[in-house]
Amino acid sequence: MVGTDVPILEVRNVSKSFPGVRALDDVSMDVLPGEVHALLGENGAGKSTLMKIISGIIPKDSGDILLDGKPVHFSSPRDALNAGVVLVQQELSLVPYLSVAENIFLGRWPRRNIQVDWNSVFYETQELLERFGIGESPKTPVGSLSVAEQQMVEILKAVSRPNLRILLLDEPTSALSEEEVNRLFELVSEIKKTGIGIIFISHKLGEALRIADRVTVLRDGRKVVTEEAQKLDERALFYYLTGKAVESLEMVYETDVAEKAIMLSLENFGVGDFVKDVNLKVRRGEVFVLFGLVGSGRTTLARGLFGFERVQGRIFLDGRPIQPKSPKEAIALGIGYLPEDRRNALVYELPVFANITLAILSLVSRRGILRIREEMTLSEDFVRSLRIKTPNVLRAVLYLSGGNQQKVLLARWLARRPRFLIMDEPTRGIDVGTKFEIREMVRQLAHQGLTILYITSEPIEALEVADRIAVMRNGRVVRLFESAKNVDKTLLLAVASGVS
Amino acid sequence: MPLFQKEGSVSWAFVNLLLRGGSLVGLIALSAAFAILSPYFFTLSNWLNIFRQVAVVLIVASAQTMVIIAAGIDLSVGPLLALGGCLAAVAMSYWGWPFLSGALLGVFFATMAGFANGVIIAKGKIPDFIATLGMLGAVRGIALLITGGLPVPSHFTATKLAGYLPESIIWLGSGHIGGVPVPMMFALFVVILTWFILNRTTFGRSLFAVGGNREAARAAGINVDRVKILVYGVSGLYCGLAGLVLVGRMNSANALMAEGIELQTIAAVVIGGTNLFGGKGSVFGTLIGAILMGVLANGLNLLNVEPFWQRVVNGLLIVAVVVFDQWRRRIMRD
Repeated sequence: MVGTDVPILEVRNVSKSFPGVRALDDVSMDVLPGEVHALLGENGAGKSTLMKIISGIIPKDSGDILLDGKPVHFSSPRDALNAGVVLVQQELSLVPYLSVAENIFLGRWPRRNIQVDWNSVFYETQELLERFGIGESPKTPVGSLSVAEQQMVEILKAVSRPNLRILLLDEPTSALSEEEVNRLFELVSEIKKTGIGIIFISHKLGEALRIADRVTVLRDGRKVVTEEAQKLDERALFYYLTGKAVESLEMVYETDVAEKAIMLSLENFGVGDFVKDVNLKVRRGEVFVLFGLVGSGRTTLARGLFGFERVQGRIFLDGRPIQPKSPKEAIALGIGYLPEDRRNALVYELPVFANITLAILSLVSRRGILRIREEMTLSEDFVRSLRIKTPNVLRAVLYLSGGNQQKVLLARWLARRPRFLIMDEPTRGIDVGTKFEIREMVRQLAHQGLTILYITSEPIEALEVADRIAVMRNGRVVRLFESAKNVDKTLLLAVASGVS
Repeated sequence: MPLFQKEGSVSWAFVNLLLRGGSLVGLIALSAAFAILSPYFFTLSNWLNIFRQVAVVLIVASAQTMVIIAAGIDLSVGPLLALGGCLAAVAMSYWGWPFLSGALLGVFFATMAGFANGVIIAKGKIPDFIATLGMLGAVRGIALLITGGLPVPSHFTATKLAGYLPESIIWLGSGHIGGVPVPMMFALFVVILTWFILNRTTFGRSLFAVGGNREAARAAGINVDRVKILVYGVSGLYCGLAGLVLVGRMNSANALMAEGIELQTIAAVVIGGTNLFGGKGSVFGTLIGAILMGVLANGLNLLNVEPFWQRVVNGLLIVAVVVFDQWRRRIMRD
């Protein structure tokens, strides 16, 4: 339980700016020995920035960080590690072919003369596993473990450091099932007992309240509150997170949409083991928003529709059953896809025009020979109509800004004239001006009759572009809003994060 | 980098020239050096000689350029070339086939071996260099089996001899048109054809896309496997053609010919500025690269440098060029 001792870690009035953004504004918090301190905030609230500063990945602009009451200055992650501050990130850093024991002691294997002292590596790992009640053998290759188990190995790797003082867990539950979360929490509780301070970052309110002793909420780079978890409930937390009270959480039931033309219909649709039992009907010419937090299964669903993944259930496009087994087949059926990560769709070394025509090579060529002039005029038209900022279409997309790269991708699909366009987080990582432009374009395209499945985790964006909104959580569509009008940001977030 | 900060200074101008000009500057510098060291170097006949020497490497290097742009690598080019050349020579001199059908036979089987590379890589999902390395051994063996390890045509097998190699193939390898070597013209034609494929066809565009970003190519509906298989097929085809030229130049075929050509072609491609990891490159760069290597060999010959030393120099050149290229990229980024 929370002791009365000196805090292990104290963050005092830390600020950090990036060009054009005040990421952290005068934030203070502290962590006591044996305490789990949850750090909550929406996307962009500053959680990650604060974590990166504490763990020495990026420097702070101003303010102090104190470890055991003494000011410290970390200029690299190594400094932080040496001081006993360990960050466990969402992306795991384990070597799949090495065993649990080898991974835990990676890079600091004990030596006997010139050999690695494997006996003590395995022995100490065994002890560690037993101490925290994990029934795996130290010799199991990490690659054969589940994601949850790998996560625990990653945490044990941090715990095994003899000098560990502060453990930072960055959204450790985002990829875990409920049962796995329980096991992880047992592990965290065990670690607490050793007197280590833990900062637990999450956007899942219920989980944070369960595991944390105290909670700090950030909003727009500022600290809103630090409070003992016992004194909080999810509604209160929600208010702190969004600045709005949770009002109505009644279910809005799906009305019969059969009388309108349906462009895409999913029946008991599933992708992989995660996305299951999805039933949706998307009408022709509407912007259908699929809202969900990171890890809710939205992208998996989109990839399934586009033929990247194995799917279950039935898909109907324009009334006809389809089964795209590859992106090529999906494209031929009239589906377009702007992926979540532009890097998976752009060929950076190729010029703007070649990126625009990449999905219509057969249309701008005759017997395999390209008609470059046609490619150019077509691309120039798109550069004008989408206001892509580039000196000319011969410029490699590498040199364009993120927003303009996104527009190039949009142009690629518009050139193809799809019937159904999937846009996965199309405004992520681009400047505000272009963000609005792209949303505007989305509305216009729908008005011209294009059917759009728009995936986002930003509630305001969802409300702005949507005709209708479906909310996903844990691989399922949990609610459908028949109109964006009666919905507000708070309600959307509440449904997506499972508060009700 | 304090050395380069003074823009406008002489050293800056020189560095800048090196950075942007790359291999062409190297070629000119090297030629100038040899011209000073040997009075014979800068004569027309010597240059024609260089081109004759370079022709075979240039044809194969054109194929290698396409393969490398698609983020692959073909180590089996030498044996494929030998297979094509030996089959053609056997058909012409032992079976009495006319030039055209013999040539077709050789080129056909070299192409098929190339397709086999592609299928193994794409469908077997194994790294390009492993598949072609295996092929390098296997096809060399097949060529040895076909020729019995002897030169073709050979007096040891004179009883079977239906005739010597036809004039046409010798013309292809050593002929002239108005003083210009035929193999040189043929190789330049192949370079231009390759430029056309790379820059004016959907296949060429797909090569850049697959090599630049495989995932993106797939997401744009490009059949990545098919592109890979095709490019290795084309590589086999080029090897077959180069085999004919080499047989014509030597007036003989043997299973061990063109050994080490995979390294020479990769060197020419890399010297020419094509990204060894795919997605970016040009066959005209490869042309410069191949000529540069030819000039180097020729110049060292003229200066009576031991052939063993030439190998050392060639090897070091490749490493030096890649190091320089990496350095150049870092500087250009800053």
